[in-house]
Amino acid sequence: MKNERKTNLILNMDQDQLGDFFPLLQKGVTVEAHVGCSLELLLTHQWQIPAEYAAQRITTIFLNSRPIDSLATAIINEDAVIALSGAMPGLVGATMRRGGYYAAMREGITHHATNGNVVDRNATVRVKLFNLLLPELGPGFLQRGIIIPAGELSRFFNGKSEHFWQGCRSALLDNFPILPHLLSREDLFPDQSTVRLSVNFPNS
Amino acid sequence: MDKIARIDMGAAGGPKVTVGDLGEYAGLGGRAMTSLMVAAEVHPLAHPLGAENKLVISPGMLSGTTGSMTGRLSVGCKSPLTGTIKESNAGGQAAQVLARLGYAAVVLEGKPEGDDLYKIVINKDGIQVIVDNSLKLMDNYPLVAKLRQEYGDKVAYMTIGSAGERKLLAASIACTDPELRPTRHCGRGGVGAVMGAKRVKAIIIDDAGMKMRPPKDPEKYRDANRKFVEGLRKHPVTGEGLPAYGTNVLTNVLNEAGGYPTNNFKSGQFADSAKLSGETQAALEIQRGGSATHGCHRGCVIQCSGIYNDKDGNYVTKQPEYETVWSHGGHCGISNLDTVAKLDYMDDNIGVDTIEMGVTIGVAMDAGLAEFGDDAAAIRLMEEVEKGTPLGRVLGSGAAITGKVFGVERVPVVKDQALPAYDPRAVQGIGVTYATTTQGADHTAGYAIATNILKVGGDVDPLKTEGQIELSRNLQIATAAIDSTGMCLFIAFAIMDQPETFQALLDMLGSFHGITMTGDDVVALGKKVLSAERDFNTRAGFTKHHDRLPRFFYNEPIAPHNQTFMMKDEELDEVFNW
Repeated sequence: MKNERKTNLILNMDQDQLGDFFPLLQKGVTVEAHVGCSLELLLTHQWQIPAEYAAQRITTIFLNSRPIDSLATAIINEDAVIALSGAMPGLVGATMRRGGYYAAMREGITHHATNGNVVDRNATVRVKLFNLLLPELGPGFLQRGIIIPAGELSRFFNGKSEHFWQGCRSALLDNFPILPHLLSREDLFPDQSTVRLSVNFPNS
Repeated sequence: MDKIARIDMGAAGGPKVTVGDLGEYAGLGGRAMTSLMVAAEVHPLAHPLGAENKLVISPGMLSGTTGSMTGRLSVGCKSPLTGTIKESNAGGQAAQVLARLGYAAVVLEGKPEGDDLYKIVINKDGIQVIVDNSLKLMDNYPLVAKLRQEYGDKVAYMTIGSAGERKLLAASIACTDPELRPTRHCGRGGVGAVMGAKRVKAIIIDDAGMKMRPPKDPEKYRDANRKFVEGLRKHPVTGEGLPAYGTNVLTNVLNEAGGYPTNNFKSGQFADSAKLSGETQAALEIQRGGSATHGCHRGCVIQCSGIYNDKDGNYVTKQPEYETVWSHGGHCGISNLDTVAKLDYMDDNIGVDTIEMGVTIGVAMDAGLAEFGDDAAAIRLMEEVEKGTPLGRVLGSGAAITGKVFGVERVPVVKDQALPAYDPRAVQGIGVTYATTTQGADHTAGYAIATNILKVGGDVDPLKTEGQIELSRNLQIATAAIDSTGMCLFIAFAIMDQPETFQALLDMLGSFHGITMTGDDVVALGKKVLSAERDFNTRAGFTKHHDRLPRFFYNEPIAPHNQTFMMKDEELDEVFNW
């Protein structure tokens, strides 16, 4: 994990504004993680997703664009891209399912475990959430914090409606209160910097 | 459904209607009816737009009943696009209404002399064929609006737009939805051109005075339907994912898998896919006062469709499906959902298949007629089709014709029908179905239909790569059977994962017809349909050499996995060995 200084931003939002963060989450966000472990440990221990939920609800998972069948044998590297999805329609949706009956149909792109050395360390990975998992897992990732380039965050805030800002109850920038509307100022964050954004919702 | 109506459009003295009993077609519906009739009655070398071809319209075996999800209508003929046998099906209200009137099939035969245009009115009193030249070259939305002034809102309409009248090979037949919008299309294979060749512009189906079709065992049927609906509602795909996001929920997943064909199949990932995703689309629809949850026919409990409004809250089109968002979106490098929605409306209005048109525009972009990602140019190309200009007629005749006219090498078609939205280099198994299906490239020809439960052809080890041939075969058999029932294919997930829901489906079929239905019966029906289709295609001149993907899939690796299509020809030739 790079040790560059990050700006810390904490938002306290109304529940109604959760959907505003879905575009970020489905495109993918960077989060801190201890890598070198299995995907199973990452999901259930580090991210505290109940094992039963992971088994029954997260039916489709991609690791670096490859569908995986076994949580236990998929090892997470630094900068890994992990996409989590609920059950999908269509033959291809069924084909992509973890350990599904039609998995052979995508054998050529399936993730297979390798024996390469993976260093056990703190790092970052990129997470994407799709469909039913957005409202269910999104609040947890947002609360734990996502790391986002300043420019991307500025673009995100610039497009927001008055309704969004009304739903932003308070904001702390490096532990100092800031009026939420000011977050849309393009010069607020240093160029080329990154921001560690945490978002709290009432029920998360 | 105890009768078949045959309308000889070319009869001396004007169109002639004959209503007869079912004869050898007793007990059939949907794809089984259309394919077995076309195979038996159409000369395989007939010109698809000539008098020898027949257009067979058939509700499913359970259509017109109180059963849920039973509203699919099949249309069959020899396809002018592919030259093969064709079955194209759609939702909407037509199947339910036609079935309640007792018709297992309505068959358009012959071809009239002259330029007169006809409409056909079907109601409890019989069938009328009426000349109505005021409808000439009308497109579907204004056409249905005009017909509603005369026939009202308690009927179902089947219509063709200007594309069908012009006999363009991508022409579709529109079926109206519960709100009488012409949004549900028998899209694939140019069936609209066959209807246009027979000079039939509209079919008005009025079931006033008719009742639901009664099952042989009403109590058992009601109970089976209840269990079937429960199964659909509790399954995460049919009960949550599809109602919330529609089929476009697939965009993010296919893109992540590297199987999302982009810029005419040059890449498997589109950088702006999130802007087109079902999640984004559903949020936008709700924000604009539309809907992300809507059924295409009454009795649908999945409700995978929706209403797409513009930024001012005005209706634009129904929720574009995944295939449409892909074909007009990522395939053409376009990431604006409003552009996709406008193109979807134009497809429905002109009456063309959204897959074929989107893929064609991508091929045209490869030819240099426009730049990938140029929204305005894509709309201009569709306007050419709408106006019927020479360029528009080329484009409206599909990707294969367009590729030939403009000398494009990368033309994603099988048997001249455009590939749907899944790159076969990433998902090799679906490439097997694309290559070998009787219909030309078609993702719904081998759907995820409970082959694990049906045990079609015995047990398969699905985790072995060599099982892909057998999986595709089994999927195609099972799909042919489901296409005959009138059931929406989206029931697949609930019956695949929940044996009790699959049993409920069998019980619905059995109790309705007063028989005991088993999985083996379903398999036998599917094999019978596929065998007839294969036999027709063989007699039409198709060989194993037509069961292949275009060469670029074998020669051009696709990012991000840098794979080519690797199934051997000899393996593909085994699909129909049973």
